[in-house]
Amino acid sequence: MARERVATHPGARGNTLLVLLSLTVVTLLFVAFLGNVKSGNLVSEASLLYVTLIFYGAATALYLAFGVTGLERYVRFALGSTWLGFLANTLAFAHRWWTAGHPPFSSIYEMLLSFVWTLAALTLVAERRFAVRVLGTVTMPLAVVGVVLMQLLPSEVRPLVPALQSTWLHVHVTFAMLAYAACAVSFALALMFLIQDRMHTDTFLAVTSALSTGIYLGMLTRFAPAGGLRVIAWDFAERREVFLAPQARLFVVIPDLGWLFLAVTVAVAAPLALYVWSRWRKDERALNWANSAFYLGLLFQALALTAFVLRARGGNYASLEAEGLYPTSLSASPFLLAGLVGGIFASVLYLMLYWRRHDLERLLPSADALDRLTYKTIGIAFPLLTLMIAAGAYWANRTWGAYWSWDQKETWAAITWLVYAGYLHMRITRGWRGRRAAYFAILGFAVVIFTFFGVTYLLGGLHAYA
Amino acid sequence: MAPNLHPERQRVWQSLASVRTGIILLILVGVVAAAGTVILQRPATDPEQMQRAYSPGLLRWLDALGLTNVFHSWWFAVLLGLLCLSIVLASLERFPAVWRYFARPYRRPEPHFRAVLPLKYEIRIRNPERGLGAAEQALRQMGFRPERIAGGEDGEDSLYAERNRFARLAAYVVHVSLLLILLGGIVDSVWGYRGFLNLTRGQQAGQIELADGSTRPMPFTLRCDGVGQENYADGTPKRWWSKLVVLQDGREVARKEIAVNDPLVYGGLRFFQANYGRTADVAAVKFVATPKGGGKPEPLVLGPGEPVTLSDGTRVRLERFVPDFYVRDNQIYTRSEEANNPAIQLSLTSKSGESKLWIFPNYPEYSQAAEAPYDFQFQDLEMGYFTGLQVSHEPGQWAVWAGCLLMGGGLILAFYFVHMRFWVMPISDGEGRRVLWVGASPSKNREDFEERFRALVHEIEKNLKTEAAAGAAVRAASLAGVAGR
Repeated sequence: MARERVATHPGARGNTLLVLLSLTVVTLLFVAFLGNVKSGNLVSEASLLYVTLIFYGAATALYLAFGVTGLERYVRFALGSTWLGFLANTLAFAHRWWTAGHPPFSSIYEMLLSFVWTLAALTLVAERRFAVRVLGTVTMPLAVVGVVLMQLLPSEVRPLVPALQSTWLHVHVTFAMLAYAACAVSFALALMFLIQDRMHTDTFLAVTSALSTGIYLGMLTRFAPAGGLRVIAWDFAERREVFLAPQARLFVVIPDLGWLFLAVTVAVAAPLALYVWSRWRKDERALNWANSAFYLGLLFQALALTAFVLRARGGNYASLEAEGLYPTSLSASPFLLAGLVGGIFASVLYLMLYWRRHDLERLLPSADALDRLTYKTIGIAFPLLTLMIAAGAYWANRTWGAYWSWDQKETWAAITWLVYAGYLHMRITRGWRGRRAAYFAILGFAVVIFTFFGVTYLLGGLHAYA
Repeated sequence: MAPNLHPERQRVWQSLASVRTGIILLILVGVVAAAGTVILQRPATDPEQMQRAYSPGLLRWLDALGLTNVFHSWWFAVLLGLLCLSIVLASLERFPAVWRYFARPYRRPEPHFRAVLPLKYEIRIRNPERGLGAAEQALRQMGFRPERIAGGEDGEDSLYAERNRFARLAAYVVHVSLLLILLGGIVDSVWGYRGFLNLTRGQQAGQIELADGSTRPMPFTLRCDGVGQENYADGTPKRWWSKLVVLQDGREVARKEIAVNDPLVYGGLRFFQANYGRTADVAAVKFVATPKGGGKPEPLVLGPGEPVTLSDGTRVRLERFVPDFYVRDNQIYTRSEEANNPAIQLSLTSKSGESKLWIFPNYPEYSQAAEAPYDFQFQDLEMGYFTGLQVSHEPGQWAVWAGCLLMGGGLILAFYFVHMRFWVMPISDGEGRRVLWVGASPSKNREDFEERFRALVHEIEKNLKTEAAAGAAVRAASLAGVAGR
């Protein structure tokens, strides 16, 4: 379909969009430059990160532009933009290392910095060595979410508390970041595999819809009785959550947002419901409705994000647990924000698949090759995960006198390890290739994300500083 | 290996040894561990917080099911034990097949093996000996050491070459290492223990306090010669340290300044810097003593248990120190451990006899005793600091570290080393022509290995061509043609 269209319009080279995008990038860079001139500090980590964000964002936009037009040049340009972003990212990384005097692995901000860097590096490696050209479609949005989160997390260089002054910390976190980035790449490859394996587009629709519904249901667990949304109170100056007591978070209620989120949940769940209906009743028309409902859901999600950003930005809201008003801000629970942005990205990626499946398939290696690549990536990730856990245990043993204390983060790292161990056994011994292996790879990355963010934001524990 | 067992038992054996069982157990352990991180756990969370978090009914159920102490419950141990058993049985089941690669390397491919081997190729040759020579040369060029196997079907030699045979054992190495780690964990949970020990400067102790409140004697005595904290410029702590001395029968046998991340290890016990703080005890009190009969005022620094002799021979001792005193029924009590309102009792021994007096720095007017020969002017107070030591005895940890190293090696073997085997054999093809049959088999990574195989075939053909440059016809059957046969 797409090929036909390109063939009938040979003049369509997408220059207008490229020019527009380049202009946007140049404008953003210029604005950043002006801001820096004003502050008198030309090279700072913040500006380097901003440049990184611009280029990763541009890469994402170019991949999406490919999704809209099906023009191959966009993928080439996206790769170029990824390279530029990677360069800026490397400089930011080096700058951080230089100013902090230690490798940037000691807070969740610094870990995100190294995670994003490794992710981009591995994406570039996969594109160059294994010719998986549209891998960035999945990994670049992830990198953008990472950089956006970094803007919201405390970034000042803090002196290391005594427990963190150890070479083993660097070993541990280096392995962790390499492993997690490899897991992210294996996740992206598993998705690509499912596309090449002729998994129905409708299945992707159902899964995307289920993911978004899950995100919004997770947020609605904080639904306040009067229809507001309870959000973790955020100390804007400190860029930190507000705690009532150790491990007891303070929540504030943002009025009315709850109803909106409820509406969005219904909107994003509608495609899933219609999909189930169509499967049950063998009704093809319902599938068309599901796809239409999907656009509506995306619109609602964008609305929810906008409303959340506008309402949560520096407003003062009452808290139920404590007396008085607490300021909250856009950065109130980066976890929540990451969920909102992640849902939107997932939806946009589905649309890309829906519109441009043939072009994607044309640019990707065969299903078999992708399956092998997924396995190879996990073959990199798994030993790294093992080393990460071993180094962490050794460090804990030197610091706390116990190599394993069933702390939440430790336990979840072990669960991640178990999931990938399951993947490897199924692949090697039982010869389960293809779909089931891909599902395991996807599950593994979901657990990684939970271990990385979820445990820190939901469970707490000894790893409080990371 | 399914030994001769009763059929019923054999079924149990086989189902325990299956990978499916292993994966189900893996998933179960994962799910239960996840539950243990979501549900508040008993020893770490205090009972009031548990009661606040869960309703009494729910809490009763959680406790009854052991879900409030998942990682120390018997059924979690059973689950881990079953997982170990499944690993052991699965390994035993498959070991003989793998061991055959070692005990009896398959050096000479038989016709049925040649027929089913996926990677093979046939090269037309005139002279078997010359063909083998070319193959030998090609294999050497690729870094293999081909063996000549004498006496084939037609009485001719064949070639066998292999590399990384040990990679076949990778899975066993990983499994053994995992068992080793778990074994270390079991040893530590049975024979290991963890406790605490608080010491102030100059203090010594011969026993530690365990988590359950009981004490446990140490085989030696530990003395603390000093504690301290260093700060960054912004006031956040940079380093905590304590100087520890190990005494055996009163003799000093070891000494170390420990810090966070740098413990003292002695006699199977490890002492970690875990805590640092102020004690309710005083380290030093400074006075100026003025003789009542007139004379030069004398500065005086008193520590606990260290009497000081003044210039006229009067011995002054710090008798008692109350950090935050109040008086009830003519007795002195303390409100807190903070030195907010100290009361200091001194005892004086002079020629005229012994006397005691109280000094209250916050109420100097009440402080003196009429009979004392000196006026004591309170100057300063230095509170004592203690070091909180975490003590652990982990006899199994070396198994854990050995297991970690072994696992690292095993995983590298598993992912990055391929057992490659090559066979070269002169045979007659279906039409009775002489061909050099070349076959190969990798233990994994078939796709990458195919490249290598093609390179080898190409090399053999090249060698044959240069040898038979005189015009010997060399014709190769195509891969597709061979596969279709």
